[in-house]
Amino acid sequence: MNIHRVIAVSWKEWREIVRDRVFFALAFLVPVSMMILLGYGLSLDVEGIPLAILDEDHSSVSRDYAYRFIGSRYFDFRGYVTSERELDELLTESRIRAAIVIPPEFEKRLLSGKSAAVQTLIDGTFPFRAQTTKGYIVAINAAANMDLLAAHLSKAFGISQEAVRERLQPVRLETRYLYNQSLKSIWSLAPKLVMLILMISPPFLTALGVVREKESGSIYNIYVSTVSRGEFLVGKLFPYVAISMVNAGVLFVLATALFGAPFKGSVATFFAATLLYVICTTGIGLLVSVFVRTQIAAMIVVSIITLVPAVLYSGVLIPVFSLDTTARVVAHILPAMYYTNIVTACFMKGIGITSFWPDVAVLAGYGILLMGLGYALFRKRTS
Amino acid sequence: MSRWTVWFRRLYVMTAKEFLQLGRDWMLLVFIVYAFTADIYLAGSGVSLQLRQAVLHVLDQDGSTASRELIGRFQPPNFQMGGWITNGPREALRLLDRGQTMAVLDIPADFESDLLSGIPTRIQMQIDTSNSVQGFLAASYAQRITADFGAERAMARLHAQSGGTRSLPRIVDDHRVWFNPNQNDTWFMSITELLTIITLFAVLLPAAAMVREKERGTVEQLLVSPLSSFQIMFPKVLSMTVVILIGCAVSLSLVLRGMFHVPVRGSLALFFGVTSLFVFTTAGLGLLISTIARNLAQVGMMTILVFTPMLFLSGAWTPPEAMPVWMRTVMYASPLHYFIDTSFGILLKGAGIDILWPEIAIMAALGGIIFGTGMFRFRSQFGK
Repeated sequence: MNIHRVIAVSWKEWREIVRDRVFFALAFLVPVSMMILLGYGLSLDVEGIPLAILDEDHSSVSRDYAYRFIGSRYFDFRGYVTSERELDELLTESRIRAAIVIPPEFEKRLLSGKSAAVQTLIDGTFPFRAQTTKGYIVAINAAANMDLLAAHLSKAFGISQEAVRERLQPVRLETRYLYNQSLKSIWSLAPKLVMLILMISPPFLTALGVVREKESGSIYNIYVSTVSRGEFLVGKLFPYVAISMVNAGVLFVLATALFGAPFKGSVATFFAATLLYVICTTGIGLLVSVFVRTQIAAMIVVSIITLVPAVLYSGVLIPVFSLDTTARVVAHILPAMYYTNIVTACFMKGIGITSFWPDVAVLAGYGILLMGLGYALFRKRTS
Repeated sequence: MSRWTVWFRRLYVMTAKEFLQLGRDWMLLVFIVYAFTADIYLAGSGVSLQLRQAVLHVLDQDGSTASRELIGRFQPPNFQMGGWITNGPREALRLLDRGQTMAVLDIPADFESDLLSGIPTRIQMQIDTSNSVQGFLAASYAQRITADFGAERAMARLHAQSGGTRSLPRIVDDHRVWFNPNQNDTWFMSITELLTIITLFAVLLPAAAMVREKERGTVEQLLVSPLSSFQIMFPKVLSMTVVILIGCAVSLSLVLRGMFHVPVRGSLALFFGVTSLFVFTTAGLGLLISTIARNLAQVGMMTILVFTPMLFLSGAWTPPEAMPVWMRTVMYASPLHYFIDTSFGILLKGAGIDILWPEIAIMAALGGIIFGTGMFRFRSQFGK
């Protein structure tokens, strides 16, 4: 491999990128704007669930019970309704996501020591939100039951409510949150956005860059030149890897400075692993560009094999252990999952490379494989 | 021939040209087919946002019947037993650090004896919250399991004391989940994925078809032809809309209904009507991009600039109520937001046009504005 030729190819590519001012600007603008928009907007916290209540009892106990929901920050109370029909309509129109129906004789039954059934209706269109909403309702209901029971038993046995509570909860679970003690969702999200954005933008840049030459025919200049295919590929990819590494640096600063995500690991290790990851994602772009002839196809193929899976299988929203078999296989095929582990280790856990070297090794192997395939499949002559 | 016949003829010829051009890019066709079938199948068949199968390791220092009973309650679907820790807390931390477990439950040595003698006892759980949402869910499920276990024990003692005859006041919460009673993630995921794919193609294909003409210079030929700018732009949208609608129909019948049994409760005609409207609106966005971009590489970058935020921030992943106010305002300008509402409304809730008309009207208005701007820019760019 002749280093001068590599530099020549890189220099040519670099000038081509820089001269297209809009493209050059977009190469840096896209990652930054994605980071800012998704950082502020993407959140799986379920709060302020719109709620309506149908109180058929109109008693002080039923009002107290309703107030437990109205006062909760997890629910956004939209008002009382007077019939179940209204609830039906509100749910179908998506104006509310949950509803509570308190039956008549609610107070009477409870005061006479009987059980009373309350009905909750939950919109199941978005299963994750439905599940979380159900969790909140169960928790609020459990607290109400505890108060009720404590009051009832303290009267019956003549002991203080505190003592009753103590007896009713013989086991306490103390939870310790590791790595993100205050459960800030942006702390979890920002580092993973770095992964997501570096999964999407380098393959786009690379595939477009290479296929552009194929489509316009200027690649024939390379075919007839003395540049070997290795030199061409290295020279061609170098500027894209460099741009992506600059972006990685910017994203790192945004994650830590703008979103305040903690970084506990070693910066050098992090960027070394990031370089490997960027080489992998650039390699995906290269591999796509070998197969397709047109830039339109390049864009579609890259979107479908990186952008779409990056959302589902990389661990940004869904942890990999929650995936079923087929999805888990897909997750293991993509480099994103391994890099997610590294990002989490460096940002949140602050552990050394001894704990995550297998992930780094996989990325390295992955990069070599992709580059090798790209090299083997890229031909200097068209058949 | 009358003016209108000529007009439609031209439109037809241009549309046929677009189909021909698309048909010759077989790699593109392969991926369009893949996207509407296998990709949606993959997304629907194994992805869930709920906490499932969180790996739990247990450090059981008591080894009693009671501790085993409690541990036995950490079951799928929410938890799965990862294994026992025998070497103490350091091993627990090592497992957590390496991401091999999500939570570690630590039960102290005198758990059962305390429980039997009525002394309050504490157990500990360490949870990996590097994914804050999942960590929070794991904690709340664990709290509920422990509280239920404790309450059952306490009630058993109370019953024994009071002779077991006393009835106790209790609010029984009977919840019903509507529209998706089993909270089937498959339905949600496959519909969301279908909408994603539709959006992707609707933005990208028309924009790319337009800019390709610019990049190769064939747009000059079109400009000197008797075609109006509408006749140049509209066939690109029309042909891609047809492709997307066919893809959508295939996906809906083969994957969504055929494999995942998604109930189509509303009117299919309405769904396809709304989909066409959405594709037109979004294609307008693509055409707008194509008037700004000079070459396809720019189209690619601008597409992800517009598409990714649209995809994530339109209400399928993040509930609007969880967004900051300014972000919610931006979201209301995204046609995908209204498409998500109407599609889920039609497919899962069986909502009709009487309920969905405001969303549809807003989408049409957005589409008109975007398409109009695109046409205006195209005209002023080429002086036609």
